[in-house]
Amino acid sequence: MKLRFVLRQTLNNLWRERTPATASVLTIGIALVILISLFEVSISLYRNLNDLKQNMVIEVYLEASRTENDAAGISAQLSDYGTIERIRVISKEAAAEIFEKEFGENIYDILKENPLPVMIEVRLQSEYNHPDYLALFKKQVEALPGVDEVHYRHVLVEKLESLTQAVLISGLAVLIVLVFAMNLLIRNTIKLSVYARRDQIAIMKILGAGNLFIRLPYILEGAFEGLFGGMMAAAGLILAHKFIADSFEAIRFSLSVYKMLWIVTISVGILIGFFVSAAAVGHFVQKIYAKK
Amino acid sequence: MQGSTRDRKPNTCDYAMIRFSQVTVNYGYVPGALKDINLQLHKGDFTLLLGPTGSGKSTLLRLIYMDILPSAGLVTVDRWNSARISPRQINLLRRNIGVVFQDFRLIENMTVFDNVALPLVIEGYRRKYIRQVTQALLDEVNMLAAADQPASTLSLGEKQRVAIARAMAKDPLIVIADEPTGNLDREASQNVLNLLERFNRHGTSILMATHDYELIKETPYRRIYMENGEIRQPDSSINVGKERIIMMNRDV
Ligand SMILES: Nc1ncnc2c1ncn2[C@@H]1O[C@H](COP(=O)(O)OP(=O)(O)O)[C@@H](O)[C@H]1O
Ligand SMILES: [Mg+2]
Repeated sequence: MKLRFVLRQTLNNLWRERTPATASVLTIGIALVILISLFEVSISLYRNLNDLKQNMVIEVYLEASRTENDAAGISAQLSDYGTIERIRVISKEAAAEIFEKEFGENIYDILKENPLPVMIEVRLQSEYNHPDYLALFKKQVEALPGVDEVHYRHVLVEKLESLTQAVLISGLAVLIVLVFAMNLLIRNTIKLSVYARRDQIAIMKILGAGNLFIRLPYILEGAFEGLFGGMMAAAGLILAHKFIADSFEAIRFSLSVYKMLWIVTISVGILIGFFVSAAAVGHFVQKIYAKK
Repeated sequence: MQGSTRDRKPNTCDYAMIRFSQVTVNYGYVPGALKDINLQLHKGDFTLLLGPTGSGKSTLLRLIYMDILPSAGLVTVDRWNSARISPRQINLLRRNIGVVFQDFRLIENMTVFDNVALPLVIEGYRRKYIRQVTQALLDEVNMLAAADQPASTLSLGEKQRVAIARAMAKDPLIVIADEPTGNLDREASQNVLNLLERFNRHGTSILMATHDYELIKETPYRRIYMENGEIRQPDSSINVGKERIIMMNRDV
């Protein structure tokens, strides 16, 4: 009976303050969308970055006149550096096969003869997958006789790294603003509800109602706003996922987060609403007692 | 909670259920709303608290449900005393006291039923029990037909009857009524007094503040007369409008 009473009060409050409550719900929803996508995008960028670093392949192209024998010699030389995880010589024929796999055309059909140079594919030990070392390695290896060019994907890595940072920082900035707005708006609805019911609160106090019983409807009001905001955000995020997954297969979302997404989003919403209003309600109720 | 005490006999218990010892109340910088009050109230009594506006009646009543605490002295109510009472204990105390106000203090947007049921809900009783008790009380104050109406739709006299039913819901140690007829016409006032008298005959202690001397002049109850924050000594007589009231304080 007590719980029924509290819930009924909560719903009454929400309905009575529906305009400010809607503002809180929207803000919570938007903040959650940003929070969760920030989390997700960071995770996915971070993973991609890590993958790239792990799989960083350095391609050492030899001059066109060089043979696989020359390549073996250079390989041996590079292996002596002690920084290499794996090294592999890719012959002209193997390069042609890779070409065919990637582009779907046989190079001999196009050019009659194979222009692809012999290549050495190098993977560094992960602790050497660092832009500074890569630059040094490139310079050193390109100076070796017989080596034409050294390629690696450091530009992409650096770009991804700074992109990750930019996303994180700007997202956090927006999030901080939104958290303030959210706090303000939730407090505002709670304040309006408490003041609208100040007579009732004073009466319940005289009837000997405990603090929790008096405050719970307002705390739950905040929690409900969090719930609705969370549901809104979850719906938005799931739609966004569908859209993004269809459009950019390249962006890989972490699957575990995706599956739990709606639970996480809604729970976070409820917790935020609950704690913000729990922190606020005492303040406003106390003000009423003081005014009496 | 306590068992049914509805049938306890009046005036059989000697111990003072409520005791004021040298109680003084100052409101902030305004001194002497009450000055050195000594007073005992007994279980089962119907007591009238008389005196002009500003004499300190409401202040005295508020001390009993500990809406305010004394600036000096001690108020004892049943097993509670003002010198050492926690907020939680104050809530418990209030659940054992029914209060009726001049302005009713019903929750206007709630139904009559929910208003009367509220003290029982606060106590955490079960739905079935609450329904049973509330309906019986509404029947007693002749408001059962209006049970599902919002309190805001009632006449003033009806509101006060609902407020009395709410005060009785927990079968309290005492019902405190602060000018309960102050907003009511003659007939409604008489109705309210009759109700309180009826509950008193069934064993509930009543303490009623009023300056409606016309209403209570025929009643045989103990009278406490207040003036300027003090209780007038027994047997003193004072002028009240055209009427001369002889004080009949028994055992102050
Ligand atoms: N909240 C308050 N703050 C300051 N003074 C008050 C307050 N309440 C009552 N008083 C003063 O205390 C005195 C007693 O008031 P009250 O107990 O309300 O008298 P009564 O109920 O007999 O009219 C009056 O002088 C009144 O002005
Ligand atoms: Mg008064």
